[in-house]
Amino acid sequence: MTFLHPLALLGLAAAAIPALLHLLERRTPPEAEFPPLRYLRDAERQSARRLRLRHLLLLILRTALVAVIVLAAARPIMPTGGSGGNGTGSGAVHAPTALAVVLDNSLSASAVVDGRPVLDRLKALARASLAQAAPGDRLWLVLADGVARAGSREALLASVDGATATPQRLELVPAVERAAHLVAAEPLRGLEVHVLSDLQRTALGTGRVDVPGVAVLVLAPPARVPANRGIAAARAGEGGLTIAVSGTPGAGATPLVARVRPPGNAPASAREAGRTLAAPGQSVTLPLPPLAPGWWIGEVLLDADELRGDDRRLFVVRVAAPASVAADAGVGPFVSAALAVLRMAKRVTVGGEVSIGERLSAARSIVLPPGDPALLGQVNRALAARGVRWHFGPPGPPGTLASADLAMVRGVQVNRRYRLEATGGDSGVVATVNGEPWLVRDGRVVLLGSRLDTTWTALPAAPGFVPFVDALANRIARGEASVLEAVGAPRVQFVTRGADTVGATVFGPDPLESDLTAATPDELRRAFPGARLLGEAGLAAERFAATRRADVSGWLLGFALLLAAIELAVASMSR
Amino acid sequence: MVDSRRLDLLDPAEVARLGGIEIVAQGVVEGFLAGIHRSPFRGFSVEFTEHRAYQPGDELRYLDWKILARADRLFVKQFEEETNLRAMILVDASRSMAWRGDPSRLTKRGYADRLVAALALILLRQRDATGLMTFDEAVRQVIPARVKAGQWTRLVRGLIDTPDGLGTAAEAALRQLTGLLARRGLVVLVSDLLLDRELALTALRYLRHRGHQVIVLHVMDPAELDLVGPPEVRLRDPESAASVVVRPRELAGAYAATVRREIAGWRTACRRHGVAYHHIRTDMPFGMALRLLA
Repeated sequence: MTFLHPLALLGLAAAAIPALLHLLERRTPPEAEFPPLRYLRDAERQSARRLRLRHLLLLILRTALVAVIVLAAARPIMPTGGSGGNGTGSGAVHAPTALAVVLDNSLSASAVVDGRPVLDRLKALARASLAQAAPGDRLWLVLADGVARAGSREALLASVDGATATPQRLELVPAVERAAHLVAAEPLRGLEVHVLSDLQRTALGTGRVDVPGVAVLVLAPPARVPANRGIAAARAGEGGLTIAVSGTPGAGATPLVARVRPPGNAPASAREAGRTLAAPGQSVTLPLPPLAPGWWIGEVLLDADELRGDDRRLFVVRVAAPASVAADAGVGPFVSAALAVLRMAKRVTVGGEVSIGERLSAARSIVLPPGDPALLGQVNRALAARGVRWHFGPPGPPGTLASADLAMVRGVQVNRRYRLEATGGDSGVVATVNGEPWLVRDGRVVLLGSRLDTTWTALPAAPGFVPFVDALANRIARGEASVLEAVGAPRVQFVTRGADTVGATVFGPDPLESDLTAATPDELRRAFPGARLLGEAGLAAERFAATRRADVSGWLLGFALLLAAIELAVASMSR
Repeated sequence: MVDSRRLDLLDPAEVARLGGIEIVAQGVVEGFLAGIHRSPFRGFSVEFTEHRAYQPGDELRYLDWKILARADRLFVKQFEEETNLRAMILVDASRSMAWRGDPSRLTKRGYADRLVAALALILLRQRDATGLMTFDEAVRQVIPARVKAGQWTRLVRGLIDTPDGLGTAAEAALRQLTGLLARRGLVVLVSDLLLDRELALTALRYLRHRGHQVIVLHVMDPAELDLVGPPEVRLRDPESAASVVVRPRELAGAYAATVRREIAGWRTACRRHGVAYHHIRTDMPFGMALRLLA
């Protein structure tokens, strides 16, 4: 047994008051004449035994009454012996517990099921879990961003109230595992993690949560989830607008509408760019109509369904005149062939805007390492003369390409290369090999660490080679960044350099959120071995069940009332 | 409905406020006799002894009309009493009798004095020789039983002149009484009976043995019947230094039972010895008390 207010036990000293009053009583009672004193003595003599017993009983009752009231004020807590009940009674408390509530407020939680957003139900349960927390508990709240927020009950309740569906996807298993490790590190008797999620299959991943000693209570997924379709991706490219549809596997095709507008124009002014049909898992390409040079913002829409957040996705279209490219003899056959293809596709023209080869030109230059190592110094001197901070260094070890901007080169093997070294600052790196710069840009000059030849790199033989040369000529050499995609609230952020727009980032929801299919019990058992899969009622019953204790102060007060009634009855006896 | 002129039926304390003992006793007796329409006690006879000159205040019925007709002088006839009753009234004048449980009531002594005065007046009006003895721990006043004029005044004066005493010793008074009552007569003991019961009963038994009719009037204040008071009080016996601290609420039941038992004990013991016993509360109208004796 423990006490919520142990200091109140000091009041037990007051239990001695009745006895002390009895022993130390120094009152002088009023005095009066009473002739029939002999009768009184007779009565007293006959009642002496009964009165002694009665006084003793009253002393015991009064002492017990004070002691019981003091004990009640100290709020004694008794173990209730396991689960059962909903634990919300006024007398129900629990031992200090470390509790982490994982509230999945990812986009899928905004789906409307049975006329109510799933998130509302999850928030209500999270609120119920936190509301039962006691002052001695340690609390965390984990939202879809994966961040574990520690805080007081009131602060976390406010966080729950303010939680809205986010475009992010919650990596549920890692989040629960982090939460379990957090609570396991606390030296408290109760360790619990409450997982409140729609339990999308796509949220589980392949990991598993197995932290000994931590009770993981997982809210069971709803029995029925609606079929959903969402736009997973919309990218404008050479062939037009490629649209990928995600959602519940097996769901039927849905009509798609693409619209475009110039940046700065109101969305209502967008004009339709095309219509098509697609089902989850399919990808379709819409030809875009001729557009004037510049940046365009587009959006793809589908018919509204239970999950509205993935029914619209933005995209960006960059319309620019093809670069005029001049290649010298040293570029090799692969680059020449790629340029020929691009000329045929009218992606480049013959001209002097961009030169590509082993030498610098007055125009924008894409410089390859010379085939003859003896010319390397001459090239470096020319680079230095042009004020380029980068120059060719000694040969570097082989490796694979990595680039945030050029997705088509990622993972391509590089066998031979020169290290690219900077004389002041290393900005302008576009791609790397083994973490070392391989493709860099400084002003109007682009340097490659390898020749575009299969003896140097596998890139010329890769499917992305022509798009790579296209990007080099039309974008990298012109100093333009690529169009990036990121998870976030739907919007477009343009990258500018001076007055020029050189790139954009398109934000949209995580496409995996569109598939609302819930994980099966087997999948959940695999991901959360040892966890308890519970309905709402079960969750209410099992919260803090392992450490639940009852505040018996109410019982004690009732007992005190009983003692007071007995005391009154005894004191009134024979009056 | 109570006749407002019937002092014998009014509250004794209210009646006592009308005047001294004599006035109250006369008023009580008048009301009492008017109420019962007959002599309450046995009749009496008288024997003429002599004449004396009339004095203002003498009853006209004792005028000797023949002398008045013959000599035109006023003489009254005087009689030698001849009665079959000689009454001695013993009044307990101990300190315990000077007590009352409520200031609005008469003390037991005050009540007893007025009751005795009324009783004596009735007896004397019947020409019964009536005497008085007051006592506490010793005999304080003795007025032999007589029937002559002015006896009642003497008796009343004897009551008034007897101060409140200390202890109570009825046995001595009763024993002395036997010497005073040569003939059989009536003995009335008025007391709160806070005395040694066995000794008193022995003396009463002795009186009975001598052929006297004995009546015991046990006077009690209503506050002596039930124990009430503050939560805790020190009660002191006015006749001794003894005191005891009690919680009246605790002891009330046992006390009431003890008092009931004590009264029943007196009543039983008196009956056993042929002594009439009457329990009288000081809030009882005098008429009702007198009726107990009738």
